[in-house]
Amino acid sequence: MNSKGFISLLSLIIIALLLVTGCGKEKGISKTPGYNEMDAVSREFNPNVDFEQILEEAKGNIVSFYGWGGDENRNKWLRQTVAPILKERYDVTLEVVGMDINDILAKLAGEKQAGLEQGAIDMIWINGENFYSAKENDLLFGPFIEKLPNFEKYIDSEDEEVKYDFGFPIEGYEAPYGKAQMVFINDSATTGETPGNTDEFMEYCKKYEGRVTYPALPDFTGSAFVRTLIYDIVGHEQFSDMEADKEVVKKAIEPALEYLRELNKYLWNQGKTFPATSGEVDNMFEDGELVMTMSYGSYSVAVGKEKGIYSDTVRTFIFDKGTVGNTNYIAIAKNSPNKAAAMVAINAIISAEIQATQFEELRTLPIVSYNKLTDEEKAGFDNVDMGEGVLPQDELLAKRLPEMPANIVPIVEEIWLEEVVGK
Amino acid sequence: MNKKTPYILIMPIVLLGVIFMFGVINGIVQGFGYIPAFNLNDVTLSYYKEILADPTFLDSLKVSSQISIISSVLAMVLGIILTTALVYTGHTEGRILQVIKLAIIIPHTIVALFTISILSQNGLIARVCYKLGLISAQGDFPLLLYTKNNLGIILSYVWKEVPFVAYFSLALMSGINKTLGEASENLGASKLKTFFYIVLPLSMPSIRKAFLIILTFSFGAYDLPFLLGATVPKALSVQAHIEYVHPDLRHRPYAMAMNGLILAITWAMAGIYYLITKRNKITGDIHEEF
Amino acid sequence: MKNFKSNRLLNIFLYISLLIISVPIVILLLWTFTARWPWPNLLPKTYSFRAIKEVFAPHAKLFQTLFSSMLLSLAVAILSVIIGTMTARALTLYDFVGKELIALLSIAPNLVPGTVFAMGIHIVFIHMALADTVLGVITVHLIYTLPYSVSIMRDLTQSIGGRLEMQAYVLGASPFKSFIYITLPLLVPGIKTSIGMAYIISSGQYFITLLIGGGKVKTFSVLMVPFIAKGDRALGSAYALIFMMSTLLILIITDRVTKKLPYQNDGGKYRWNWN
Repeated sequence: MNSKGFISLLSLIIIALLLVTGCGKEKGISKTPGYNEMDAVSREFNPNVDFEQILEEAKGNIVSFYGWGGDENRNKWLRQTVAPILKERYDVTLEVVGMDINDILAKLAGEKQAGLEQGAIDMIWINGENFYSAKENDLLFGPFIEKLPNFEKYIDSEDEEVKYDFGFPIEGYEAPYGKAQMVFINDSATTGETPGNTDEFMEYCKKYEGRVTYPALPDFTGSAFVRTLIYDIVGHEQFSDMEADKEVVKKAIEPALEYLRELNKYLWNQGKTFPATSGEVDNMFEDGELVMTMSYGSYSVAVGKEKGIYSDTVRTFIFDKGTVGNTNYIAIAKNSPNKAAAMVAINAIISAEIQATQFEELRTLPIVSYNKLTDEEKAGFDNVDMGEGVLPQDELLAKRLPEMPANIVPIVEEIWLEEVVGK
Repeated sequence: MNKKTPYILIMPIVLLGVIFMFGVINGIVQGFGYIPAFNLNDVTLSYYKEILADPTFLDSLKVSSQISIISSVLAMVLGIILTTALVYTGHTEGRILQVIKLAIIIPHTIVALFTISILSQNGLIARVCYKLGLISAQGDFPLLLYTKNNLGIILSYVWKEVPFVAYFSLALMSGINKTLGEASENLGASKLKTFFYIVLPLSMPSIRKAFLIILTFSFGAYDLPFLLGATVPKALSVQAHIEYVHPDLRHRPYAMAMNGLILAITWAMAGIYYLITKRNKITGDIHEEF
Repeated sequence: MKNFKSNRLLNIFLYISLLIISVPIVILLLWTFTARWPWPNLLPKTYSFRAIKEVFAPHAKLFQTLFSSMLLSLAVAILSVIIGTMTARALTLYDFVGKELIALLSIAPNLVPGTVFAMGIHIVFIHMALADTVLGVITVHLIYTLPYSVSIMRDLTQSIGGRLEMQAYVLGASPFKSFIYITLPLLVPGIKTSIGMAYIISSGQYFITLLIGGGKVKTFSVLMVPFIAKGDRALGSAYALIFMMSTLLILIITDRVTKKLPYQNDGGKYRWNWN
């Protein structure tokens, strides 16, 4: 190669660059906020029309569903089961985007500040304190859930978890998506016991000293675990309308704090430090360093066994008085450019049919009201084999405790950090 | 040459620089409480004051400084040795260098993953000890990670940064060695003398830049201290991250203020570096400004 | 190079370093195929292809994401080298107003925490209609890679100096030609390192790509990180290995391509000027 070759190589590179950025720009522009070819009709989306009209409007659109992307089974279910149904029946294309909720909220907040009317996010997988925050800061669109035909058809509108999310009124701004409940996991081959309350749990930790721990708060799972312990010791009703004041909360949970401090002595590393994430705790349990772990996914033992991560003797257990449970939801972004399609997609997801597939493929507890189902639909749920080493649905739901209000949770986490770690 | 040439040459970076400044200023402003999206409309120092008044701030600062300074100094020394090894054994290209590049490519979160696999009480080294009969259970193996001395974090950073320092300064040292180094030896100087008086000093510009980069990076990054650190005290960057992911969006200013402090300290470090190197202009930095 | 005892020590150090780097990579390889690896086993207890199946599942669109990701980072790398060379040239061979400022600016991105810049620039980009676009992502990646590119090219430009080019100019070649035929070939080693470094940095970016790309611009890193963060070691290792291999591939290709460029005498070794 010589000078000519060199020049031509250089020009080739530059052309390639232009192509890349050019293509990118196009891809970007068709989705670029503010540049919507067919939005003349609905700059202001009106949800108060006939659902038929909304279905019409949704046709041919792409709806982006943003949520945590770390569950590969869920990603698969969304893309391979849910998306085809949406496309076939409603001509709505579902796009799944993996993004942590705080990054989602950061993005929405930035867009709000910049005054962006048509953003990139349509549906959001959200719950709890994040929902509270998003709603308070006017990042969500609503109310919309009552407009969905399937809401009337399948959901029990009087259910506490449909009206309130972590103690705060939903007011139709998010639709239930799936249920979660805290469960504990251990291996019957290693430890025969399944402690049913905090006293038994303390004994358990004494026996297997140094081999039990929980993720450091404010990890989602660690936080729920501590709250379950708190409930077992001081009960749960008092929290539903407690004042969000640090001293008040501290006083209420003082007996539990004492318990936790006492517990530290028998925990992994004497409670001087805790693993940073629930993933680490799970890994330590898998490797045999810990004898127990915990999870919000009620059927994670079955899932784990299928993945080959858990041995056959692993099983699930909960406290007699119950464990915390919550619902997670789907909300719509205020600046979503495809609100009609979002509503159509959400409507489909809360149907018995898709909930049954979620139950079957992901072992996620459904949010449909059993009483409202036809016999055929009921069979769709009953016939699912939940797997080995798990608890039946009715037992779980019978021992289900409500979450603390969204503004109390961070206070509990703060107190834990100050009063329990290393004490 | 044309008088206008430099101005044309710097146009792209000026453009990017302006965008960069805009972004930074916008971000800093959030630390002063001005986030209209959340109805925070006053500019205030209260977030900064609150953070500085918190007793855990000094602990966090100590953790962050300890981690960054120790790991960077270690990485620089070992990195220099590695570069020297590469240059003097003639391996400035080829497969060995590819292995070194691999270490640079690996994301920090993966480094955390295998650090735990190797160094934890449940890790490979512990298991080897068990097989050798030195310990009888996981608890017997010393705790190397999650400790207040941040050993695990420092080792992980060193693992990643030694190859980086080596790769970054390889070009310069190799070139100096081939020209001035060879000349010196031909004139009769011993290899050792040549290295310490010629090759190393003249290679310092690259090495020092690499040092500044790894120092500031290890101070501001949060992945490794988050995954491998003790629950308390947390590194400053971890604390900032926790505030950032706090569900109550009104905590954002805290995150930004903490980041602002990290920024200030980072610039202070760079400033100190600049002052020290300015003084040493004689030792070979003929054209060195930064 | 005379053979010296110190050479042997250096060799030992070199090989120990390689060992320390390789062992974790082997562990990653093992984890990719592991189902269970409990205490006290030194090797995995049960193997499985679960991670491989998940990663390469059709719905995951691995190759699409990987390919577009590589293209994006390559674009960033090339742009970075071009701008880096231009800036380095200006800083080394010329004197101009604001020189110190530009020098400072070119290392500044390393000195600013990622979150501050990301949150700030996000709003700016929305106003400029650059948010959620490939061009926006390329721009922010550039801001992060330029400190390295400028730095590397500066070192190299300094050592080469302007003398040779000046001589060619004096002998009648146009400034453009003297740059292309004299200086540029000598800069190739730096260009190589620069492209490599910039590519690595761009492909490794997560947060800024996520925020500025808004989920619309999918890079491999954005796909990979949630799995690593979750703690699934098999899946995380699988993704990490693919990431590393693909990056290494690009680096090797870059090396080969730059080797073929016309500048020859030393068959690929650096050629320096005596000033």
